[in-house]
Amino acid sequence: MAINLRTPQAETRDQRLGTITQWDGPASQLAKDSAFTFGCGRDCGPGGKRLCELNSPYSQASMCAEQIAVTNATIIKDTVVIQHSPIGCASSQSFTSRYSRDLAARRGWKPEDPKSICTNLGEQDMVFGGVDRLAETIRDAYERHHPRVIFVATSCATGIIGDDVDGTARQLEDELGIPIVALHCEGFKSRHWSSGWDVIEHGILRRLVPNRTHEKNPDLLNVIHLGGPDVFTPLVGPLGLKVNLIMGGNSLERLADLSTAAATVTMCFVLSYLATGLEQEYGVPEIRAPLPYGQDATDNWLRDIARVTQREHLVEAVIASERARIAPELERLRGLLKGKKGFVAAGAAFAHGLIADLRELGVTVDDAYSFHHDPSTDSGDPEQDSLGHLIQTTGEIENFTVSPDQHFQTHAALKRSNPDFVICRHSGTTATLAGRLGIPVLPIFYSNDGLGYEGLLTIGRAILRVLPRRRFYEDVAAHSAFPYQPWWLEQTNPYALDTAEAAE
Amino acid sequence: MNVVSQISTDTSSSFAAQPGPIEQVRYACALGALTSVIAVEGAIPITHCGPGCASKQFHALSGISGYQGGEFHVPSTNIGNKEVIFGGADRLDELITSTLKVMEAELYVVQSGCIPGLVGDDVENLVKGYQRRGVPIVFAETLGYRGTNFTGHETVVKAIIEQYVAKQPAVPKRTGLVNVWALLPYQNPFWRGDLTEIRRILEGIGLEVNILFGPASEGLSEWRAIPSAAVNLVLGPWLGLSIARDLEAAYDQTTLHIPALPVGARATAAFLRKVGDHAGLDRRKVDAFIAREEKTYYHYLRDFAQFYAGCTSQYRLPSEVNIVADSAYALAVAKFLVGDLGLNPGVVVITENPPESERAAIRAAFRDLAPGIDADPLFESDGHKAHAAIRAHPRVGELPIVFGSTWETGIAGEIDAPLVEISYPVTDEVVLSRSYIGYRGALQLIERTYTTVVRQSTEENPEGTAL
Repeated sequence: MAINLRTPQAETRDQRLGTITQWDGPASQLAKDSAFTFGCGRDCGPGGKRLCELNSPYSQASMCAEQIAVTNATIIKDTVVIQHSPIGCASSQSFTSRYSRDLAARRGWKPEDPKSICTNLGEQDMVFGGVDRLAETIRDAYERHHPRVIFVATSCATGIIGDDVDGTARQLEDELGIPIVALHCEGFKSRHWSSGWDVIEHGILRRLVPNRTHEKNPDLLNVIHLGGPDVFTPLVGPLGLKVNLIMGGNSLERLADLSTAAATVTMCFVLSYLATGLEQEYGVPEIRAPLPYGQDATDNWLRDIARVTQREHLVEAVIASERARIAPELERLRGLLKGKKGFVAAGAAFAHGLIADLRELGVTVDDAYSFHHDPSTDSGDPEQDSLGHLIQTTGEIENFTVSPDQHFQTHAALKRSNPDFVICRHSGTTATLAGRLGIPVLPIFYSNDGLGYEGLLTIGRAILRVLPRRRFYEDVAAHSAFPYQPWWLEQTNPYALDTAEAAE
Repeated sequence: MNVVSQISTDTSSSFAAQPGPIEQVRYACALGALTSVIAVEGAIPITHCGPGCASKQFHALSGISGYQGGEFHVPSTNIGNKEVIFGGADRLDELITSTLKVMEAELYVVQSGCIPGLVGDDVENLVKGYQRRGVPIVFAETLGYRGTNFTGHETVVKAIIEQYVAKQPAVPKRTGLVNVWALLPYQNPFWRGDLTEIRRILEGIGLEVNILFGPASEGLSEWRAIPSAAVNLVLGPWLGLSIARDLEAAYDQTTLHIPALPVGARATAAFLRKVGDHAGLDRRKVDAFIAREEKTYYHYLRDFAQFYAGCTSQYRLPSEVNIVADSAYALAVAKFLVGDLGLNPGVVVITENPPESERAAIRAAFRDLAPGIDADPLFESDGHKAHAAIRAHPRVGELPIVFGSTWETGIAGEIDAPLVEISYPVTDEVVLSRSYIGYRGALQLIERTYTTVVRQSTEENPEGTAL
């Protein structure tokens, strides 16, 4: 399905990709059902069935698309983000500020507070509408900071009362003469927070990427990542490619270069909306090779980039030299991690990548936990079936749970797995839970840590650093408890409640 | 879409969103009061709101503010399209039923957010159904657009008192038992240590204490004992006052309101004598405790005087205190820094949008910080305007220091002032049991303040600048 840039509102990933958030079983079944349901690209042999989502009556607080969209808009330089919402939606500003300052330190930027302003809607605004407050706030934002772009993010409240955000944005755009980009990110609209990536990428693609295809730069590679240090230049620099790192705090200039690049890679297919859109709108090819987790995948990923950017003559030497470089340290890490059992919890393609890394490091992974599952990608290309690829290259994952970071389900999954350590993202729930159960945990804040050849070493060393913390976690675990009913504390099936309800 | 919203007639009706936009947000919405429930051992909030609401409020208040942590596995309906269009009461019903199957708590507090308010879910009647079946459950309407986590806190506390505490078997009065209504849990990153210190000094003079929140509390058994108390001690400029007034009427209790949290020996001694007199304690016992505490306190102060007198320090000791904080800490810190340490008041910004009705009293509390020395606080929630006020303040020959939040990093740098983080959000401090009030807290506040001064002087003036 093509990406529709005519409307200011991005279609949710539930609608576009059939994203699900509740499932449990062997990973091979999930891959097979996904393929069967969406296009029969791969593994669509006999035994496939339509992907069927579970439905737990119990649920715990999750996260929303607004937070992803707003955070990633806020850290774009020379912009102001307006959260058109009651004050609570904007309470994440402190997180964004900390994140922004941390990013600045890692990327060598000047540390400064990102600019975001809340329209601070109250009860009167719910009754009479909040567009006047919005207009006033947009003018204030312009006067205070003279930004080059203003983003306006919606909220559940403004979505329900039906404020005409697009109309107000257009009107103020004429008045102020700078782009005012609406981000439609009402939390209730999508079942999964990752739709927030689509919202911000939709806004960027629609409004901040001028058509400069005539200025093609054959050496420029767009790299769309979640944020963090640039681990890509060392990887593709030797091929003579220059990295245009997108998301995780861009300048507007970087965004304006997007249409001039030779190709786009995405570091996680959860973010592939922008890459697919660039190909669709500007003919910038999207690299669809499986993500570079583990040596073989990284080899093939580099080869695909080299093929698309016509530098195949350089790539084999780079691969050989990188493999030789990491070999001794990889051997050392494998020796130390031998016999260890890991548990992975992360979002879809990112989780699949971490599992590949762990397995290459010699760690056993029988259990994993994905915060959502996309049965398809925007390109519709089965090459991007990262779960299918993982199973094909590294084998089955016996217990594969899809759940939007639900504490009670993670508790059951961890009891079933009993791992030596947990590696996870969105560390709020899983990391704390693992620690409290006495299990050492490696939370991945910057998701580039596991990428490429060096990523194997980075992850391996990081795991070894956290393993001794078992001494701390076990102590805490022995002196604290969770307020679950005894039957749930014993539970090892994350969807036991769903099954029980079905049996009633 | 249709809007079925009634203008509130409940206790939070005094709330008005500050007009104008807010940059650098310093509090959460009413739903954020779920942290007050989490602060009560044995209670669990059940949230009826969008998928990101509860976790955002919790992580903002507990995580990115002193990294306080805390128990977060909060049931939530995570409202989606379906509930927005068709109403969410059935989904909440399903969630409550399954919560009772999975979780184990002494008390469940159902909190609603913006969406159920706008689509008109009848949460109250749904919860009443569970109450009739004997489930220990209450409902607090904490619509995000109808208040802050401060007003939400009062709503939640009143809901627990009216729908849970009042339904418990009657308990005998205990003279000498005090209910304490003080700092807002989680919003103030030092609340755990502060409530522990308040409990310690009140018990020190011979009182029994319902501290109600945090590690120093016995949990819900204290809440059930609220009617037994003789006195409600409201410690702070305004938060908790309306709770105490309700209790006064319901349980024949008295209210003692002390606007300034005591910091340091002078304020704490005066505080303890006032509480002791109100509760009818033997003055000699109170004085004996004060004497013991002062002996230790002044031992430390005597030794600190060596640093403060300057003979061992070449640092630029600050002379003017600027504060950007909630009214409770703004007042407490101003009184100590001006009244006890001898600084001059600079700009004081009060950030939590206190009710209009309380502002004159708050203003009055800033008079006579030291004899004849007043501060004139500015009520402002918007960081941009707060910083403009600090920037515009004339200071000739003064060496400023800023007590504020992480948001003040930039402005403190601009006026070349050290920054001590005391108010939300505190992203550059890890806080466990540290306290800044009472006897022990005052010493820690001095430590933190002058460690910051020394580090800043050292970083910026490697040679040391003697002025």
